[in-house]
Amino acid sequence: MTSIPPTAPSSWRKMQIPRPLQQLFDRFPLLTYEANNLPERSQHLTSSDLPTLYVFSTDRDAGLGLPSFNPGCLKWQTLLRLAGLEFRILPSTNHASPTGSLPFLLPPRRRNTTTSSATPPPPRPIPASNLLAYALQQQRQQQTPSLDFDLDPDLPPRSQAYLSLITLSLRNAWLHALYLDPSHTPLLEQLYIRPSSSSRAVQATLLYQLRRAAAEQISSSSNKIVSIATVDAVDEEEAVYAAAREALAALASLLRESGSGWFFGAERPGAFDAALFSYTHLMMEYMSSSGEGSVEGAGGVALGDMVRAAGDGGLARHRESMLEAAWPGWDASK
Amino acid sequence: MVLQLHVWGPAFGLPSLDAECLAAIAYLAQTTSSADYQLIQSSPSAVPTQHLPALYNPSTSTWTSGFPSITTHLHTHPPPTYHDPSSSSSPIAAVEPKTTTATLTADKTAYTAFLTSHAAPLLALSLYVSSTNYATTTRPAYSAVLPLPLPWTEPPAVRAAMARGAQHLGMSSLDTDALAQRAAEEEKRVAAEGWVAVPPVLRGPGGITKGVGGMLSPEQKGRIRLEGLAGEVLDVLAEVGWEEEGQRAEVRCLVFGYLALMLLPDVPRPWLREIMEGRYGGLCEFVRGFKGEVFAEGMVLPWAEGEASGSAVAVGTRFARAVLCDVPLIGAQWSRWWTARKKRQVLASRGVKTGSSGTLLLLAGTGLAAMAASAGIFFYRGLPPFGEAVQVWRKPITTLSGLGAAGAMFSGALYGVD
Repeated sequence: MTSIPPTAPSSWRKMQIPRPLQQLFDRFPLLTYEANNLPERSQHLTSSDLPTLYVFSTDRDAGLGLPSFNPGCLKWQTLLRLAGLEFRILPSTNHASPTGSLPFLLPPRRRNTTTSSATPPPPRPIPASNLLAYALQQQRQQQTPSLDFDLDPDLPPRSQAYLSLITLSLRNAWLHALYLDPSHTPLLEQLYIRPSSSSRAVQATLLYQLRRAAAEQISSSSNKIVSIATVDAVDEEEAVYAAAREALAALASLLRESGSGWFFGAERPGAFDAALFSYTHLMMEYMSSSGEGSVEGAGGVALGDMVRAAGDGGLARHRESMLEAAWPGWDASK
Repeated sequence: MVLQLHVWGPAFGLPSLDAECLAAIAYLAQTTSSADYQLIQSSPSAVPTQHLPALYNPSTSTWTSGFPSITTHLHTHPPPTYHDPSSSSSPIAAVEPKTTTATLTADKTAYTAFLTSHAAPLLALSLYVSSTNYATTTRPAYSAVLPLPLPWTEPPAVRAAMARGAQHLGMSSLDTDALAQRAAEEEKRVAAEGWVAVPPVLRGPGGITKGVGGMLSPEQKGRIRLEGLAGEVLDVLAEVGWEEEGQRAEVRCLVFGYLALMLLPDVPRPWLREIMEGRYGGLCEFVRGFKGEVFAEGMVLPWAEGEASGSAVAVGTRFARAVLCDVPLIGAQWSRWWTARKKRQVLASRGVKTGSSGTLLLLAGTGLAAMAASAGIFFYRGLPPFGEAVQVWRKPITTLSGLGAAGAMFSGALYGVD
């Protein structure tokens, strides 16, 4: 007698689901597939007996161990080669890196031969900021007396000032020439854009994003207000290249003052030499108006010629001897 | 005609509140007699180069901006009373051994780059990124030198630019405004997702994290890292004897510009000054000595009133432009278009012909799109409400079932009666 009538649906939320539908949804998921294995090539890409340095490169260049076309990557590649470490390089992109930027190094996977079932934990990738510590540690472990390469020599505080010439003036000039100078667009597409995607829309977006990032980098490095700064104005362009020319002249003068052929009177090339080489080599290789490595013949700013002219060719000779030290037989590999 | 140097105005007992402007003023004061140049208080939006310091040379009618470019310009187009202090004994300069001159020039280039890339971010941490210092010292200084509506737009833009320059140092925790904003956003998100949160009343003023950590200012928490960052920069600078006359005058001025702004402003969180006074006495002495020498007590700098930049219309235009740049979505597009227009003007003034970049087409397209959008909105607003043509509302009939549990009880009680 006290049957309570079903209360009226208090709100639209308590919608009744029709029973057949309810039954159908109760059966979901119908089937859960097992997780796919990683593709075959990922095994090859992540496991090796050698440490792997992931850099911007092409498949062909990476197979031969040729210099990367990205200054930041080339610096570490050169340094590790100078240190005499055995490693291989693989082309990669920023998206693959745990820090969001290349290069990074993957130490060799330790093979567990006794128990094949239990795979050892994968090694942790080493970002660029820790590469020096890793190289020093490896050097200590190898205990090879022939390698007297001093990775971390005590440079005078003055070297910091000269290092900022590379990281500020040369970097800005490289960014401007490669990304913002329209005459180097084919080179930019060949190096960074086309390997990323085959879709035209993605390529166009990527080009736009890269250009904007480069412009912002250049303008914020000189503490200008980005929103109203004339990033692509003529004055800006002239100032960037004038600063690069002055920087190259100053570096050439420093090299001449050192006297030993390497910076700061060292007997063997060091981190500073590698940092400079990473820019001078790429500028001469890709941005010469004439000569062996020219991709784009006419137009644009010939940063390579600027390097050649600096200090009566002192920096060009420095680059040659760096190649000799890090890539013996460079000319043969070409 | 005299040179016109457009700079940020004076503050902190110094002729300018910007390091490069300060260096440019010091350089001109040392090299040129005050009859040959004028200082004009300005802001980046008032000069065509959009960057201060900017030098206008009426004889060549060119604008030069940035301290290194200005010194180069002065070398190549010297005013009548200009004398290069680094070659004060100019006839002997040629006889000097060439290596030392080359080394000095190389050092000048290197230290200029070093100051721009390392000292500027450090200074930005102290004066701009740190919210307390910015609010108490820097923003009032900017407000004092700008005409009225501009303090609302320009200092925030400068601060944003400075913070972006110092981003790589990873000390954004000094910016407590941004932290508070992020916390508020997080709270809003938590509330929107329906999580149970501690009401703000129960949390107290210091947030959830009270205790020693909550009592410390971000500058105190980050003190060790700040000391490290300051040491990286100041160690390099302290190693050079800036007192000596042998150094290039340009780089001495620039060093003074940065160090003076690190040392002299009276900021509420004076970590940078404490570090400098504690560990780098030589640099402090240099700053005070240089200031006494170049900007002596009784000295009068040739300040002049800018004619065009002072009028209300010009100020209003600058304000409107800055506001437009800050409008989301269209602001970036607009500033790019404006930049391109300026660039074409500069090119045209040099006689370089450039093809019209379809600005008119773009404007017409934008206008058409805007008209289409507004017509669409008008049409939509004019539509009758969707649904039945005739809507009838009736007063709801109160039934017992509408009264909840009590109603249910009564309806049960009345069930038998019915």
